Amino acid sequence: MTEDTRTTRGRLTRRQVLGGALATAGAAAGGVLLGVPEARAAAAPTGDLRVSLPAEIVSLDPMGASAAEESVRIVAAHIFDTLVVRNTRTRGFTPGLATKWETPDPNTWVFTLRSGVKFHDGTPLTSRDVKASVDRMIAQPGPLAPLWTAVAGTDAPSDTTVRIRTKTPLGTMPANLSLTSILPADKMNTAGFFNKPIGSGPFSVSSYRPQGDLVLAANTAYWGTPPGVKTLTFRDIPEVASRVTALINGEIDLTYALPPDQIASLQSNNTLRIQSTPSYRYYFIWMNIKREPFTDVRVRQALTYAVDVPTILNTLLKGSAQRMTAPIPSTVFGYAPQRPYAYDPAKAKQLLAAAGHPNGFDATMIWNPDSGPQDREIAQALFSYWNAVGARIKDGQAERAQWLDKLLKLDWDMDFQTNIVVTGDADFVLRRLYTTSANRMGYSNPTVDHVLDLAAQSADQDKRKVYYGQVCEIIWDDSVGLYPFELTATYVSRKAVQGFVPTPSSPVFTAVTVQR
Amino acid sequence: MARHIARRLLYSIFVLWGALTIVFVAVRVIPGDPAQMMIGSSGTQADVARLRHRLGLDAPIGVQYVRYLAGAVRLDFGQSLVLEEPAVQAVNERLPATGLLAASAMALGVIVGLPLGVIAALRPRSAADYLVSVASLAGQSVPNFWLGIMFILVFARQLRWLPSSGMGGLSHLVLPAVTLALLLVGVLTRLVRSGLVEVAQEDYIRSAYAKGLARTSVLRKHALPNVMIPVVTVAGLQLGNLLAGAVIVETVFAWPGAGRLLIQAIGNRDYPVVQVAVLFITISFIVVNLLVDVSYGLLDPRVRYQ
Repeated sequence: MTEDTRTTRGRLTRRQVLGGALATAGAAAGGVLLGVPEARAAAAPTGDLRVSLPAEIVSLDPMGASAAEESVRIVAAHIFDTLVVRNTRTRGFTPGLATKWETPDPNTWVFTLRSGVKFHDGTPLTSRDVKASVDRMIAQPGPLAPLWTAVAGTDAPSDTTVRIRTKTPLGTMPANLSLTSILPADKMNTAGFFNKPIGSGPFSVSSYRPQGDLVLAANTAYWGTPPGVKTLTFRDIPEVASRVTALINGEIDLTYALPPDQIASLQSNNTLRIQSTPSYRYYFIWMNIKREPFTDVRVRQALTYAVDVPTILNTLLKGSAQRMTAPIPSTVFGYAPQRPYAYDPAKAKQLLAAAGHPNGFDATMIWNPDSGPQDREIAQALFSYWNAVGARIKDGQAERAQWLDKLLKLDWDMDFQTNIVVTGDADFVLRRLYTTSANRMGYSNPTVDHVLDLAAQSADQDKRKVYYGQVCEIIWDDSVGLYPFELTATYVSRKAVQGFVPTPSSPVFTAVTVQR
Repeated sequence: MARHIARRLLYSIFVLWGALTIVFVAVRVIPGDPAQMMIGSSGTQADVARLRHRLGLDAPIGVQYVRYLAGAVRLDFGQSLVLEEPAVQAVNERLPATGLLAASAMALGVIVGLPLGVIAALRPRSAADYLVSVASLAGQSVPNFWLGIMFILVFARQLRWLPSSGMGGLSHLVLPAVTLALLLVGVLTRLVRSGLVEVAQEDYIRSAYAKGLARTSVLRKHALPNVMIPVVTVAGLQLGNLLAGAVIVETVFAWPGAGRLLIQAIGNRDYPVVQVAVLFITISFIVVNLLVDVSYGLLDPRVRYQ
C-alpha cells in the first residue's frame, strides 16, 4: 500500500521537475510514431532506453558458438543488417540490405543490394562484404551451421549483386538469411573485432563489458527506420528479483520473460505497461517411439488424453501461455491447426488396456530445471495426471548438460522441454527433428520424410505451407509427442517507453522512444 | 623465513599441477560436452560429431592432456568455447570485479567482526554477549542468496537507498559486499570471543591485572595478540567461502565477476574457462596461505626466532 503511494509521489515529483517542455515534445513524437514512421525521420534521436534481456549477451559475434541464443540475435539485429528481414506479422520477408531477390533456377538465388549503404565507420557496404559474411556463416562451427549444408558456393558478380548456389534447392534461404548479419569483409577476421564490432545497422557499439552493460549509440545515417533513442543500453541482470526491482525503481526501462507470479504482482503498478504476444517458444513432451511401450500409438494417445491441459494453463501458466493446436506454435510459418485432444482419463485407461497394459506401466521422463516458466510445477502436474490412469512415470530431472547428453543419445523413455523455433519457419523444427535420419525421438514415417524434403526444396512459399500443414496433421494424429502449451512473450516496460511493438521473439527497439 | 617461503613456493608447483590435472579430469568425467551444449536441443548427433571434431574434442585424451599442460606452462588455455575470446583473457577481465568484492567483504568482516568479538568477550554471559552471539550465529547461518534478495527488496525496492544491481560507484558495492561479509563477520566474531574468553583464564592475564594494568591495556597488549594467530588462520581459510559466496552474490546483484563466469562455464562445459578459473583460484589460495604463514612471524615472536 505505502509503496504504491510513494511510487506515485515519486513519479509526480519527477514530472514536475522535468517540466512541460519535454512533455510537449514527447507527445508530438509519440503521435507520429503511431502513424507513419517515415515522418519521424527529421526528428533527431533523444534519450536513453535501458533494456535487460532474460539471458546474458554472451558474445557480440552473430555467427559464433552462441549464434542461436536469443540475446545474441537481438543485439545483432540492432548492430548489423541482414539481406532480408522476417515480418513476424505477415510471416513473409521484407527487403533488408537486399532490395529484391529471384531464383532463376531452383539452385540459384540472386540478390540485388541496396546502394549507398555504409558501415558505421563510413566505408561503403558492397557485395564483397555480403559474400564474405555468408561464407563465414557457413564455415563457422556454430549452432546455425547445419542450416547451410545445402549451399554449394557464393559469388559477387557485381558490387550490388550476390549469388548463392545450392546443391539441392533450399526453400529456407530467406529464413536463413534473415539470421545472417552482414559484417565488413576486411575487418571481421581481425583479432578483437567482436569486442566492438562494426556493422551497418541502426545502432553502433559504444562500449561493451561482458556480464555488464552493452551501450549502443544511434546511427543517424541509417538507411532504414531511424533510431528513436540516442543510446540503447543492454544491462545484464541475471536474477529475476533484481531485474524486477530495477524495473520498478526505474534503473531499467524494459524487460521480458518474467515468471507468471512476478507479472501478476506487477499488474497493479501504474508506472508499468505489460504487453503480450504469442511467441516462437513452446512446451512439448516426447515419447521414445523405439522403446516399449511407446511403440504402440494407443499408449501415446492414452498419455495425451490423460492430461487436463486447460486446467494446467489456468492454474500454473495463467496469462503466460496458450493451448497448442499443432506440433509447432501458431506463430510459425507452416503452422496448420489440429483438433485438440480432450481430457478423458477413462478413454486413456481404455486405450492402455487395449494396448496390453491394463495394470499400467513404468517409465522415466527426463527434463532439466532450466526448461521454462513453471517447468517443475508442470512436470509434477503431468506425473500426477499420468499416475491417475496407471502410467507410473518417474521423475528423471537432471542438470542441463546431463539432460542434453541423454536427450541427444536417445537414452530416455520420455522427455519434457521447451523449444524455440529460431528461424520462425516450420523447417527448423519439423525437418530437423522428425525425419527418420534426424532420429531424435525414434519416429520414422516415409511420408513425413518425403513431404518434408519437398517442402525444404521448394522456393514457392505457398506450396511449402501446404506441405508443412500435411506434416503437422500426421505428427498430431500419430501422437509423436504431447504438445500442450505455446508460451506468450510478455514484455514489461515503464510507461515512459513509447512505440514498442511486442514480437514473438527477438524484440526490436529501433523505433522506440523514451519520454521521461 | 626466506628458506621456508622458498620451500613453500616449490610445493606450490606440485599443488598447481595437481589442481590442473584434477580439473582436467573432472570436467571430462561429468556427462555432457561443449559440442552438445553449443548445438543445443535442436541438433542431431551428426551435428554434434562434426562440431566435436572441429573443436578438437575427438582427439585421444592423452593427446588433449599433453596439449593442455604444454599450454598451461605458457598460460595459454586456448579459446573459450562460448565467449569468442581466449579463456585467460575472459577470466582476467572479470577478476578485478571479484577481487574488489572479496577484498571489501574481507575488510568489512575484519573491521566489524573483531570489535564485536571483543565486546562479547568483555562481559561473558551479559546481554551484549548474548546479542552478539545470536547475531553472529545468524550471520553465519543465513544463506546468502536469500539474504541478498532480502537486501534488494528492503534497501533497493522499499527504501530506495541503494541501487539494486550492477557495478558502478561505491553505492553499487554496498549491498553485495555486506551480503558476502556477513558470513565472515559471524565466523570471526565467534572465534575472537571464544579465544578471548579462553585466554582470560590464563595466568599471564591474571599477572597483568595484578601488576595494575587497565583492562584496555591487558586486552590490547596481552589478550588480543594471543588470539590473532587462529583468527588470521581462519580468515585466510575463509577465502574459499568468500569465493564460493561470490558466485552467488555476483549472480544476485548482477556483479560482473569471475565467479559467475565459472558457474556458467561449468554449465556450458566450457572446458578452457573452467580450467583457467580453477587455476586462478588455486593461485589465490597459495598466495593467501603464504601471506598467512608470513603473518605468523609478525604476530608471534616465537615463530620468528625458530
